[in-house]
Amino acid sequence: MAKQRATDGTLLRSLPWTLTALCFSVLPHIPYLPIWITGAFAICAALRLYVEYRRKRLPARWIRVALALGSFFGVFAIYENISGVGPGSALLIIMAALKLLETHQRRDQFVLLFISVFLIMASLLREQYLWSLPFLVIGTLITMTAWLGMSPGQGASIRRNFLSSSRLLLYAAPLTLAMWILFPRLSSPFWAVPVDSSQATSGLSESMSPGDISSLSLSNKVAFRVDFVDQVPPPKDLYWRGLVLYNFNGRTWTGANEAIGHDRRDNVEYLGAPISYQVTLEPTAQHTVFALDVPLEWSIDRTTMGLHQQLARERPIDQRISYKAVSHTTFRSNRTETIFDNNYYRGLPEEGNARTRALAKNMREAVSSETDFIEDVLRMFNEQAYFYTLEPPQLGRNPVDQFLFEARQGFCEHYASAFAVMMRAVGIPTRIVLGYQGGELNNFGNYSYMIVRQSDAHAWTEVWLENRGWVRVDPTAAVAPERISAGMSGARLGGLGASWGFSSTSELLHNLTLKWDALNAKWNEWILGYGPENQTKFLKLLGIDDPDWRRMMLTLIGIITVMIVIISGLLVRRYRAPKIDEASLLYRRFVRQIGIQPIIGETPRLYARRVQAQGKCGNPAINDITEQYLLCRYGPDDTTAMRRLRAAVNDFAVAA
Amino acid sequence: MQRSSTLESLSAGVDSLQGAVDGARNALNSIILGKPREIDLALACLLARGHLLIEDLPGLGKTILAQALAKILGLSYQRIQFTSDLLPADIVGVSIFRQETGEFEFKPGPIFSQLVLADEVNRATPKAQSALLEAMEEQQVSSDGHTYELPQPYFVVATQNPSDQIGTFPLPESQLDRFLMRVELGYPDEQYERELITGTDRRQLLDEVGAKLTADSLVILQSAASIMHLGDPLVDYIQALIRFTRESPEFETGLSPRGSQALAAAAKAYAFVQKHAGVFPDDVQAVFAAVAGHRLKPNIDSSYRSPMEMSRHVLDNVAIP
Repeated sequence: MAKQRATDGTLLRSLPWTLTALCFSVLPHIPYLPIWITGAFAICAALRLYVEYRRKRLPARWIRVALALGSFFGVFAIYENISGVGPGSALLIIMAALKLLETHQRRDQFVLLFISVFLIMASLLREQYLWSLPFLVIGTLITMTAWLGMSPGQGASIRRNFLSSSRLLLYAAPLTLAMWILFPRLSSPFWAVPVDSSQATSGLSESMSPGDISSLSLSNKVAFRVDFVDQVPPPKDLYWRGLVLYNFNGRTWTGANEAIGHDRRDNVEYLGAPISYQVTLEPTAQHTVFALDVPLEWSIDRTTMGLHQQLARERPIDQRISYKAVSHTTFRSNRTETIFDNNYYRGLPEEGNARTRALAKNMREAVSSETDFIEDVLRMFNEQAYFYTLEPPQLGRNPVDQFLFEARQGFCEHYASAFAVMMRAVGIPTRIVLGYQGGELNNFGNYSYMIVRQSDAHAWTEVWLENRGWVRVDPTAAVAPERISAGMSGARLGGLGASWGFSSTSELLHNLTLKWDALNAKWNEWILGYGPENQTKFLKLLGIDDPDWRRMMLTLIGIITVMIVIISGLLVRRYRAPKIDEASLLYRRFVRQIGIQPIIGETPRLYARRVQAQGKCGNPAINDITEQYLLCRYGPDDTTAMRRLRAAVNDFAVAA
Repeated sequence: MQRSSTLESLSAGVDSLQGAVDGARNALNSIILGKPREIDLALACLLARGHLLIEDLPGLGKTILAQALAKILGLSYQRIQFTSDLLPADIVGVSIFRQETGEFEFKPGPIFSQLVLADEVNRATPKAQSALLEAMEEQQVSSDGHTYELPQPYFVVATQNPSDQIGTFPLPESQLDRFLMRVELGYPDEQYERELITGTDRRQLLDEVGAKLTADSLVILQSAASIMHLGDPLVDYIQALIRFTRESPEFETGLSPRGSQALAAAAKAYAFVQKHAGVFPDDVQAVFAAVAGHRLKPNIDSSYRSPMEMSRHVLDNVAIP
């Protein structure tokens, strides 16, 4: 193996740009990467620049091999896998970093730039936000600029390279647009990227312990957006049903989507007017599908209503999904249920929370009916000193006891849990529903939709009453009625927030946030959600009725052909062939006729002399043509000379 | 408008003057035998407002050429013989204190004449050399805080013995650059040699010929030469030549922008002397060795050593557009 030579600084001009392009494409991956990979990348990049500046040597081969193996196993150890977006991009980035350490020449930098393009695209596999488009464009521009900077021509300036790459992108833009609009969309993709499970998604969990939802309530992230077809229901009806919990171990409520595959809609009697709307659900990596309590129809595949009127999809929701639904906010369910013989909805752990149980039993004995008992409990929450707060104190071994008799401060989950325990203590079937309550209406011009955020997460209870079926009882409404009537977002803004420990956002900032969200919503709907349905709609708008894939492909091919012709035309126009004037054309003809090629650097006069010396033709016309040619080509504009030259060359041709 | 009408009146007078240029050429050729090319170059150099460096061995007629130029073109003439003890004051002149007026009076040196022959310029010390070269560049002389304009037209003909002779201070490249052209005279052909031996003495002959031009007409001719038509193809050709000298591995340094300007100016003046309708490739090729030869520096391992060889290499490798 040849001994490693020191670098000679030839890459100093192109390397910074290659590094810029690479860094830019790594940027969106950083939040998802283990810190050591980002660190290693930064170190390798800095080291490589230092090596080039100081004309040092690059590390020896065995070091590089060792580092590569180490990194590979490092990635494998963290992700326990090497396929998928997470480990894939991590591996790509660490290998790009190591490639930097063996970048000797232009060719190696091409590899790096190729990786850079790949990384830019890989970031789209994770998330596609509104800013992904500018990122994509800028990233591609930087990479192309770096790429052009390495082309072997004389050092074109960065500005020129940048302009060239912008122009190239511009040429490509109409093609991209046409392909994006017209390429036939499929309702289910051929392939799917495995969900990056290393990435914690915020959202409701499948169980509930004290503190779970209140921590969620600090998140401003959007859970889903709703577009109501007609009227927006009043806030008190805005219960977005999610998961139903019925097992209690003294601290944690759990439930399961065990009824997947069975449609239990026949257990529900739908009353009142239907409400139609469309939900765009952000990915949760869970099965739960949210809908207004209680849904009648939904346009999402492989999704069924479970035993507890909750919707669940067979596959977890790993991508943003949009579906239409119809709900009835007035309904009765499981009126004639007989499964309550067992302790399914009445069970409590043998021990624990004894004071709560005792209290419930005493209160039940004081009244005659279950309805009265329920009202008494709610009145207790309302009239006694119970407080609604997002920062409740820590609860110990008997959390319900502690909450009811000591802390007396809590969030919806505490009240729901305490209420459910009290109900079960006297034998009333009770279950807890996790979901969202309320939502903020965002009016953006004509476009109006509802944003439901993680902070709208809510827990409420349902009790089963003879002849009435499951009845929704929301103990939080008894403690903090404004939470239900104004919604979380509204409550936050309107002064109440401060008392709950929120830092109230200024009105202006909030409005800006809403506008940005509206843009995002439209982006999601039309750009990211551009599926077969939107495509058909959009093509109808363009005047293409009844588009099938054959017609789309034909149109697409037609457009591509036209565009390529136009772009080629532009390029041909831009290319200016060096001007050949008539004089030199005539002279060339004359030279062809003589049949002797001029030598490089031979002036016409010397040529004439040489031709005559060779005795090929001792024609005085040669001198004449030569002199006329010199006059025409190098002298000032002279039409008579040109005429003479033309005539002389023609005569010469005839004579020959 | 103003300018173009001046040019028109200029070109009207030039036609008659061009005949005078021919007369001058013939007269020069009758004195310096067998060197028509060099004479044309010298004339072109003068018309392009440049200075001329003649480099050759002693006795090849350098001095007589300069003298003939001055005489025939009707210019005032001074000769400065450069020696190793020559001082700058010997060239530019000295200020002398006048007792009567109580003031210093500047006594102009030999440099104050229209044609200055700086003979054997490489025999003097660099200090004396630079006094001459500065005057050439600035067209004026500064002494004791006063600036004295040099007469117009102003033309320096410097002669130099090849620098490998003993006791010389070769001009550095930056100084060589001040000369528009550098020509070599070389030995005359046998035919002319014979004529030189048998014929009358050249100096005597020179006394007999009169001036064919005046200083004023020379200024007009200089203007006329500077507006010779230089077509686009020829600008391309000059640029291609310059580019070749910069990119060719044979040369350590290519031609500078000043070099390209010099090439264009010299080619125009040469075309004017040849009475061409515009600048032809032949004109560029004719002046190329004289203009570029002393500005090119061969690479250490280049096989082209002499100015002539280097120029030939360039001209033979650049296509004429």
